[in-house]
Amino acid sequence: MRLTKLLLVLLICSGFIYLGSIHHPLGVSLPPVGDFFNPFRGFWQNAEPTSMATAKSLNFDELEEEVQVVMDERLVPHVFANSLTDAFFVEGYLTAKYRLWQMDITVRSTGGRLAEVLGEGLLEHDRLQRRKGLLWAAENTLAAWKESKDWPWIEAYVAGVNARISELTPAEYPLEFKMLNYAPEPWSPLKSALLVKSMAETLCSRNLDLESSNMRQILGADLFNFLYPETNPQQSPIIPAGTPWPFAPVALHDTLAGTEISQQLPPFRMFPNPSEFIGSNNWAVAGSKTASGAPILCNDPHLPLTLPSIWYEIQINCPEANAYGVCLPGAPGIVIGFNENIAWGMTNVGQDVLDWYTIDWTDDTKEAYLLDGQPQKITLRKEVIGVRGRTEPVEDEVKYTVWGPVVYDNGDSPYLDMAMRWVVHDIPPARDHHEMGTFVGLMKGKNYNDYSEAISYFDSPGQNFVFACRNGDIAIKVEGKFPLRKIEQGRFVQDGSHSDQGWSSFIPKSQIPQILNPERGFVASANQRSTDSSYPYYYLGGFDDYRGRYLNQQLEQMDNITVEDMMQLQNNNYSLKASEGLSALLALIDESQLQETGKKHLQLLKNWDYRFEADGQAPVLFEEWFDHAYSSTFDEIVALEDSVEVLYPETWRFIALLKDHTEHAIFDLQGTPTVENAGTVVTKAFQDMEHDLAENYPEGDFNWRDYKNTSVNHLARIPSFSVTNVAVGGYGEALNATKRAHGPSWRMIVDLQEPGKAYGVYPGGQSGNPGSPFYDMMIDQWANGEYNKLWFMRQAQDQDQPILSRITFSN
Amino acid sequence: MRLILSIAGIIIFGFIVQQFLPWWSLAVVAALVIAVAKLRPLSSFWAGLVSGMLLWGIYAAVINAGNDGILAEKIAALFGGPAIMVIFMTALWGGLTAALGALSGSLLRNLSQSAA
Repeated sequence: MRLTKLLLVLLICSGFIYLGSIHHPLGVSLPPVGDFFNPFRGFWQNAEPTSMATAKSLNFDELEEEVQVVMDERLVPHVFANSLTDAFFVEGYLTAKYRLWQMDITVRSTGGRLAEVLGEGLLEHDRLQRRKGLLWAAENTLAAWKESKDWPWIEAYVAGVNARISELTPAEYPLEFKMLNYAPEPWSPLKSALLVKSMAETLCSRNLDLESSNMRQILGADLFNFLYPETNPQQSPIIPAGTPWPFAPVALHDTLAGTEISQQLPPFRMFPNPSEFIGSNNWAVAGSKTASGAPILCNDPHLPLTLPSIWYEIQINCPEANAYGVCLPGAPGIVIGFNENIAWGMTNVGQDVLDWYTIDWTDDTKEAYLLDGQPQKITLRKEVIGVRGRTEPVEDEVKYTVWGPVVYDNGDSPYLDMAMRWVVHDIPPARDHHEMGTFVGLMKGKNYNDYSEAISYFDSPGQNFVFACRNGDIAIKVEGKFPLRKIEQGRFVQDGSHSDQGWSSFIPKSQIPQILNPERGFVASANQRSTDSSYPYYYLGGFDDYRGRYLNQQLEQMDNITVEDMMQLQNNNYSLKASEGLSALLALIDESQLQETGKKHLQLLKNWDYRFEADGQAPVLFEEWFDHAYSSTFDEIVALEDSVEVLYPETWRFIALLKDHTEHAIFDLQGTPTVENAGTVVTKAFQDMEHDLAENYPEGDFNWRDYKNTSVNHLARIPSFSVTNVAVGGYGEALNATKRAHGPSWRMIVDLQEPGKAYGVYPGGQSGNPGSPFYDMMIDQWANGEYNKLWFMRQAQDQDQPILSRITFSN
Repeated sequence: MRLILSIAGIIIFGFIVQQFLPWWSLAVVAALVIAVAKLRPLSSFWAGLVSGMLLWGIYAAVINAGNDGILAEKIAALFGGPAIMVIFMTALWGGLTAALGALSGSLLRNLSQSAA
């Protein structure tokens, strides 16, 4: 009897312990409950005390000399070291201390290693990442890094990250490791390379080859060319129109403008393009235009809004450099920032650097393909993908051609066999420096020549590097590795059986668009085209049509510019798309067909100042009306969406059609016996909008903020770790490009007068720990358009700002 | 008296041992303390429950106070409850762990005694 009782209790007890120790207990997506709630090791250990120790000392053999770190009030580290390598070791340590899980999950996602920790559901994601060649690309880059002078910096950074990881006990693991129930693993140079590829994937993998091929085939060349002209005549390029090109252009070989891909278009789905909402602004105004007489430089890269934030603020002070700015956790250096002499920033270049080539297999085994009539063997690359919950990893074999990987070759699906040619895959040329050399060169930079040399090491993702110097120089350069294309080459899927369908070469670095100290007294970019049509090489890609024009207009008019003016400009909610789009819509609407509410709404729009303010109603009305008009105009294309990848005309083209081609057949609605024109479409769009609004907001209580619902989401989409419906205005086609899930990820303004002043803010906080008061501390400030004065310390003993703590790293 | 001492013993030894060992070490600690204290099964269950709840609950509450409730609120939101709920859940889990361990310890002791 006693024995039975004992056995029963022991069974219950061990059952309880077992249940509390297993991953996903009872099939519920939970971490091991006992581990998670255990206050000695679980999530409670991540509930940081809100007051911190004021002095701390750490010991690392890897350091050559002692390093001092001053943590300021916002948890920004100011690192004082006696060498760059010591500084990067500490940068690695600190980014790991505050952002380790973010670093881990980012490179897992890029390199296709998510299923290893998240299970079966991520297997297809991982397989695709491998098939896109991201791991291969990172390995290629790593090989070049090893042979360069950047290597000691990378090694020091990696050692710093690993020094932090090796001191972690399970109780100290970042919260997300506990929630997802896996342990941190050592960092490596390959992971830093993957991080660089992750930025490239976000910023320069966008391509429309298949979409364009489909549309040209379905619509016919005439209608295609009418709907999709490549150049917006209203554009205002980065390099002022009329700037001469003092070089002899490279001669290009002949290529075809794409190939007929297939008579029957298969219902083929490509991997999704990165969001078109990626973009940025940067500019520098010369002393001739500022109140102080010194240049001012501004930058705000628009990226996915995430928590933890994409950026980490840091100052690095050592004999070679004293620089302040933001870095990407996972790689050494400062990406966007300033020092005593110069400031720099960047925006993305929309040049298309990814093309697709059809493959002509010699037979069904797909082991060889024809190139210039000769069979070529493919190279197989084995990809091994670990999957949590499986005993054996999944193996995938990817075929590599002269063009690159065949991303889709599944014989059971109607997927096309196409190879991907992407600049990001390329083995970097042997040279002294690569990306890290760019950032270190900028950190050390004293003048224009230093800036120019530093950025020449940068290949991808192509960036518009803006520059300003205390000596008064301002400059901008469209830096990167860009293919030399014949007109329309790579706009469509190319025929991969002829080697001459490839790129001739790349734009020589000396011929890249750039300008130093232009007459107009400012340089600026907002992802628009780099040059006017006089530039001798063909352009292909996605370029902004509104922010850049507005920015140039504003800077042209401004004089006696102050830092406050620049803050207002970065937070400016005015949209040229709205002013041009609305005037086209208003010119076409038949007001007599509107009901009372409709008339009221129309009046709101007529009185609108084209600013996307958070509490405004007109922005919602414009957005809804414009979208309805757009999708009914292109209803022919909407109807194709289910069967093929389609391409929609650009916004500026639609507005041009509304203005100049009101009777064009594209306005005729499908499936109606009548013939519609632009006027009928626009009036009907307004009525449809009214109908939707009445349904969704019966009280009529809509506003732009709630409609837009700007959210800064946690990287694992954990709702309570995210901040939703931020009280902020802005619009994709306004300088304050704050959208639903994308926006200004770091606003920086550097005033280069003596002594320099700099301001910055980002939508997040220095700590990646959701249990830290620093986790999201700057979001409200960012939403309100406020800035922090950035504390540029000259020496570790500086006392002019409050200090949170001092950490000594001794060797 | 033995009851109070058992509770104090589980809390003190539990606090020390859990600095180094996983959460379920609390069950082992409770079993050993009860076996030494020779508590009857029913009182041992209560002693375990109270000590486990106090140890985990108070520790969590202290951490929570230092953190101004920032994290507890976010974790509670995942389960759709107020922050105080996660402290209670923590206490309850600690209590059950110690209670089941204590009960096992008491029954084990009874068995070995009757066998001897």
